[in-house]
Amino acid sequence: MTTRDPDPDPGTAAAPVARLVEVTRLHGDGAGAVHALKGVSLDVAAGELVAVMGPSGSGKSTLLNLAGGLDRPSSGHIQVEGVELGGLSAAGLAALRRRNVGYVFQDLNLIPSLTAAENVMLPRELDGVRTARAREEARAVLGEVGAGDLADRFPDEMSGGQRQRVAIARALVGERRLLLADEPTGAVDTLVGDEILRLLRAKADAGAAVLVVTHEPRYAAWADRVVFLKDGEIVDSAAAGLVSAR
Amino acid sequence: MTIRHGLLALLTQGPRYGYQLRAEFEASTGATWPLNIGQVYTTLSRMERDGLVAPGEQDEQGRMVYAITEKGRAELDRWFATPVAQADRPRDELVIKLAMAITAPGVDVARVVQAQRSATMRTLQELTRAKRGAGAAQRLVLDSMIFQAEAEQRWLAHCEAVLAASPKEGM
Ligand SMILES: Nc1ncnc2c1ncn2[C@@H]1O[C@H](COP(=O)(O)OP(=O)(O)OP(=O)(O)O)[C@@H](O)[C@H]1O
Ligand SMILES: [Mg+2]
Repeated sequence: MTTRDPDPDPGTAAAPVARLVEVTRLHGDGAGAVHALKGVSLDVAAGELVAVMGPSGSGKSTLLNLAGGLDRPSSGHIQVEGVELGGLSAAGLAALRRRNVGYVFQDLNLIPSLTAAENVMLPRELDGVRTARAREEARAVLGEVGAGDLADRFPDEMSGGQRQRVAIARALVGERRLLLADEPTGAVDTLVGDEILRLLRAKADAGAAVLVVTHEPRYAAWADRVVFLKDGEIVDSAAAGLVSAR
Repeated sequence: MTIRHGLLALLTQGPRYGYQLRAEFEASTGATWPLNIGQVYTTLSRMERDGLVAPGEQDEQGRMVYAITEKGRAELDRWFATPVAQADRPRDELVIKLAMAITAPGVDVARVVQAQRSATMRTLQELTRAKRGAGAAQRLVLDSMIFQAEAEQRWLAHCEAVLAASPKEGM
């Protein structure tokens, strides 16, 4: 089991694609306040796949939403591609999200009145890409995730696993540098699940920074680093290639 | 008995020298089950005694080529047709360690569990990495180890949840 580390020189000084520094997130206030995150620091570099594991309610989705600028921290700093998110206006944040960040949400979030291809095209059209080109890109990326034949179907005409692939295609379209996936293997069997992780792994190997939340150890194992979250804090992490298999 | 059946299976592809059998055995199990050449020759001579293989010609260096016999084929067929029993596994050190960690005073059980989770996760990462370049037979072997490591991870996550809900005396 002596595979070489495919990562580029870890000594390079390039800024991480996503950086969280001492981030906290408090929901509500007073006695009913929930400390969803309590001082989490995490870097995700280009070419790196990081998995986040932890029990239900430990703050995984909160962490992902903050990293992608969908939510604002109560304190601490978040940077994407070196840009401090706290310093951006709502419009500036929305533009940065569209340009740099691809999401796969826990509940997938496909728009029911749009076909698979139209769902995938949407973020590109919002980016100002022409419809014809966005359609071409959508077909290509749907093919890449093995959903080429689903382009003209509506979400309620697909199986759970098929919807999953379309949601992933939507996150991948447009070569986004930061990919955030919240339980992207929710409704699929292990063969398809492995395929989804293989895809995200390939994106990381091609230079994207990928952050994946999963309950499943077998999928977390595709990561370069696995971060264990508990009660809003990182309690440990496992990095591949440091210790050989038993 | 499995080395013996593994060697018989390899011999169905034609006569082989001991060193060839060793290399092919390791290749098809993804080197997860290393054999030493002594084990191979001991197994071959026992199988010769039992009539499952027959020695052929020697090469210049005195190495013997072996072929599977009719009796060997029948034994192999029987093996493939028989499901593997849920063997009595040797007592699992990890289970004992956790039980003791809960029983003994002053042990931070959550830390013991987390340390094991990280270690098993590293193993799982290595196995997953190895699987990327593996052929079909190796892949199935690695998958089997992945599912086992995964079961341990799930059990550890479960332990963690149980412990969080009811520390020490609750167990
Ligand atoms: N908008 C909100 N208002 C109040 N509390 C919230 C809100 N969003 C999340 N929380 C709380 O923050 C904590 C962390 O939630 P989060 O969704 O990040 O958990 P998770 O680790 O993703 O869980 P799961 O595995 O179930 O998806 C939970 O206690 C949750 O109830
Ligand atoms: Mg969640």
